[in-house]
Amino acid sequence: MSDVPTPPLADVTGLLAGRVAIVTGAGQGVGQGIAEALAAAGASVVIAARRLETGEPVAAAIRESGGDATAVRCDVGVEADVSVAVAETVERFGRLDVMVHNAVSPPGPPLTLQEIDDDTIAAQITTSTTASFHCATAAFPHLAKDHGTLILLTSPAGIEGSGNLPLYGCVKGAQRGLLKSLAREWGPAGVRVNAIAPVAWTPAMDVATAANPTLEARLRGRTPLQRIGDPAEDIGPVAVFLASPMSRHMTGQTLAVDGGRYLGL
Amino acid sequence: MAGRGVAGPRALIVGAGDPASSVAAGLDARGWAVQHLDDDSIEWTDATVDQHAAPGGIDLVVHARYPAASRRKADLVSLSAVDWHAAADEPLEAAIRLARGAHPRLAEAGGTIVFLVPLMASAGGEGFAPLATAAEGSRLLAKSLAKTWGGDGIRAHALTLDPSAFLDADDAAGMAEANALHDPPLGHVPDLSSEITPIVDALTTGDLAALTGASLVADGGLWMPG
Repeated sequence: MSDVPTPPLADVTGLLAGRVAIVTGAGQGVGQGIAEALAAAGASVVIAARRLETGEPVAAAIRESGGDATAVRCDVGVEADVSVAVAETVERFGRLDVMVHNAVSPPGPPLTLQEIDDDTIAAQITTSTTASFHCATAAFPHLAKDHGTLILLTSPAGIEGSGNLPLYGCVKGAQRGLLKSLAREWGPAGVRVNAIAPVAWTPAMDVATAANPTLEARLRGRTPLQRIGDPAEDIGPVAVFLASPMSRHMTGQTLAVDGGRYLGL
Repeated sequence: MAGRGVAGPRALIVGAGDPASSVAAGLDARGWAVQHLDDDSIEWTDATVDQHAAPGGIDLVVHARYPAASRRKADLVSLSAVDWHAAADEPLEAAIRLARGAHPRLAEAGGTIVFLVPLMASAGGEGFAPLATAAEGSRLLAKSLAKTWGGDGIRAHALTLDPSAFLDADDAAGMAEANALHDPPLGHVPDLSSEITPIVDALTTGDLAALTGASLVADGGLWMPG
């Protein structure tokens, strides 16, 4: 825990009432946190997960909390899966306002580029850039109907590069090239495109800290706010902000939500 | 592929057309022994560098491989998955494989890898989302490689160029208009052979040995980020 005071969360009840969101990779981690936050703000949320056994419990928990959620099986690397997820969402809820592409292939342990195998390269490209294309193109016709928004989950590694995860830095940077171009391309249609670059507790972070017991302390030490973000309470509210009219004049931006660890400008 | 075989520092230039061709010619004129892989249809594997470059260390690798599919203007929603792969994913993967394959050669020479990227990578470009995706991935690859390979004596940079270095005149003018890139303060956008090549050359010298992971913008002042 950090000794740095943390303010209470804002009451966003109803802020996204009537809006419909899809969150990919929402069966755990940051995606789950974003889905929970969007639902708490009143959105109907579709939990898109590669395995329904991870997506269903998240949707059920949201419903038990009074929210509106359902789960669909979706491998974001498969174009048809994404198209079906979008079609089922629109069929059930009548619209799609927010597409959050969060799913990612786990970056794995620190490796130099020459140590990374071909399968890992393919998987990282598929879940980052190919899947961003699938999500963007499937969602756009619906997002354009009523000021919708696309949110991509990138990483501080996609801004500053990464010595430990050079491939991850590369593909997460690639997503930022896409989002800035789409912001220009889709702005005239009223569709906003932004990104979040989080550092948060995730299952991957659990694995990393278990393997490297000093990692957590080092991360905290390098973070001005001296703690690692919570997916639902620190990352989720930023997604709510980007999905809401409060950010209606923002597009093409990447928000680093990392406690101040990356200070680029 | 043109191999000039001139004695001197060795450069491997990757990419068809400009900016690769002009930089290759410019380096050749400056005394580099240049090998130019100008066939974008080569399917990249880790062995590609060994298959096409003469044995031994390489002092400079310049990546500017953006196939015609990447440079074609199109709205994203008009692209098929096959189009996307050819325009974005394949060039990005080729850049990764080039770097990976070049690593031992660069390490042997204490060399430098420079990624030439179009301005839309950082600034966005309407109708050029695949190109921006592949190029921004390459720019971040340069930063990551700088961090990873510094201990091997390898430096890595990205050099951002104005759109006309990659696009035909009409598309470059259209992007300049859409991105409000008017009237470069230096009066013109840089000439690739006479103004960009010396920057690439300089990045390999001991004078700039303390520089790595840089994202330099060499566009005559069109765009001043940050």
